[in-house]
Amino acid sequence: MTILLEIKGLTKRYNAGTVALDGIDLQVKSKEFIAVIGPSGAGKSTLLRCINRLVEPTSGSIDFLGQHVEKANSRDLRHVRSQIGMIFQHYNLVSRLSVLENVLHGRLGYMSSIAGVFNRYSEEDKKKAIALLHKVGLENEVYKRADELSGGQKQRVGVCRALAQQPQLILADEPIASLDPKSSAVVMDAIHRNCAEQGIACLVNLHQVEVAKQYASRIIGIKNGKMVFDGPPEALTDYHTALIYEGKESQMYQQQVAEEQPSPTGRKYA
Amino acid sequence: MIVLFIPCAFYLNLSATQFAEGIARIPDIAKQFLQISLDDLPKLLTELLTSVIIAFLSVVISVIVALLLSFVIADTTAPNRHVAKVLRVIVVIIRTIPTTIWVLLAVASMGFGSMAGVLGLLFPTTSFLIKSFTAQIDEAGKDSVEAIRALGGTWWHVVCNGAIPTLYSTFLALIAFNFEMTVAETVILGMVGAGGIGVLLQEYISYYEFAPLLMGILVVFITLFLLEMMTNQIRKRLNSQAR
Repeated sequence: MTILLEIKGLTKRYNAGTVALDGIDLQVKSKEFIAVIGPSGAGKSTLLRCINRLVEPTSGSIDFLGQHVEKANSRDLRHVRSQIGMIFQHYNLVSRLSVLENVLHGRLGYMSSIAGVFNRYSEEDKKKAIALLHKVGLENEVYKRADELSGGQKQRVGVCRALAQQPQLILADEPIASLDPKSSAVVMDAIHRNCAEQGIACLVNLHQVEVAKQYASRIIGIKNGKMVFDGPPEALTDYHTALIYEGKESQMYQQQVAEEQPSPTGRKYA
Repeated sequence: MIVLFIPCAFYLNLSATQFAEGIARIPDIAKQFLQISLDDLPKLLTELLTSVIIAFLSVVISVIVALLLSFVIADTTAPNRHVAKVLRVIVVIIRTIPTTIWVLLAVASMGFGSMAGVLGLLFPTTSFLIKSFTAQIDEAGKDSVEAIRALGGTWWHVVCNGAIPTLYSTFLALIAFNFEMTVAETVILGMVGAGGIGVLLQEYISYYEFAPLLMGILVVFITLFLLEMMTNQIRKRLNSQAR
């Protein structure tokens, strides 16, 4: 397994004095499925957004496939970002456009400005996008406007958009925080299955510890901007969880993800 | 407030007798006023059309300029923070200068007429649109901008594939509202020489020609009323689309 991402001493300090991240060291190898857990405000979101520089780190180094992200110029940064897919808590789709167009946006990182502005996607891109949508069970929604979909469907579109980038790494910032348990299961399965099949590494922010244990190969606990746990799910005992969520215990048990029931026809998604 | 009222009234030499005399005169003036003459109707309608066209041209040019500049100025999409700040200061200065002054400046530099009207109106209209657009970009456009930026899109992708489709309906609603406002302004500014129906109305007032004046006022009122209903319909339909 190659080392995809190497973070050393990542620190983010805001002007008001808040320290969101305090010296994070992290190595992500290819094919790892890492769940980042911790209470709200611990720094999970900031960590993910520093990796693709949506937030500028104050200090530290971020090395992605040999590229120094924190020092990259705009062209190199674009290149890095196209290799890193991102899934957002509020889906961040373009509501007026169709589901297909939203997924095709994933190819923009590989297209010139002019090609992108005039939506000149290749036939192959379109075929692959539709295939991705089939896989997550959205084949009947391909031409619908994005705002006509339910939350779970929208997030699956977001997953497809990230996968359309053919990335090496996917960053998912609380992808199921706004979803009900059944949709959450569908979305987490979509992310997990596709990452496993295509060998994509994944960093998922979750505040539901049970979900983290269910899907991750490795769990990282963040508390007050520092990493306080790094290990396999089996090693995460109740003691560790209590430590991570010290003072914010109510956030540990929000939402249990429902068990997935295979339907009689073998098709798993509604 | 009540305590301040009395000294203020004294300061302006407001006199109760003057007020009473004025009120006594109203029935007379009303009688003179209430004569409508249809003779000048064609002239009025032509000039009204001129006013509307002045407003229309001004808004069209303003929209193009505002669209280009708004994405450079808005925090969310600014390619360069420093340039954005400088431009924002310039826009604030333009917006603080009242519309009337802009039109007077235009009239002073190129004489009376429609040209002065269009050019003078450009500045306040553009700055109003820029302010409205940037507010929307920073508020409703944030999520889609973040997504396109995160997947490696260029600035053009962010603006054209992300921000513009998201804000399309809102922008149209703002433009419709702005057009309505500008037509009303154009009518009034005709009186300081910007061309259009305002010029006629000013003449009628100077020569106490109440009949055509009332006709003119009526014509303006009906037009603005119709415009407002139209823009309300447009905005309702856009909002129901936006969901």
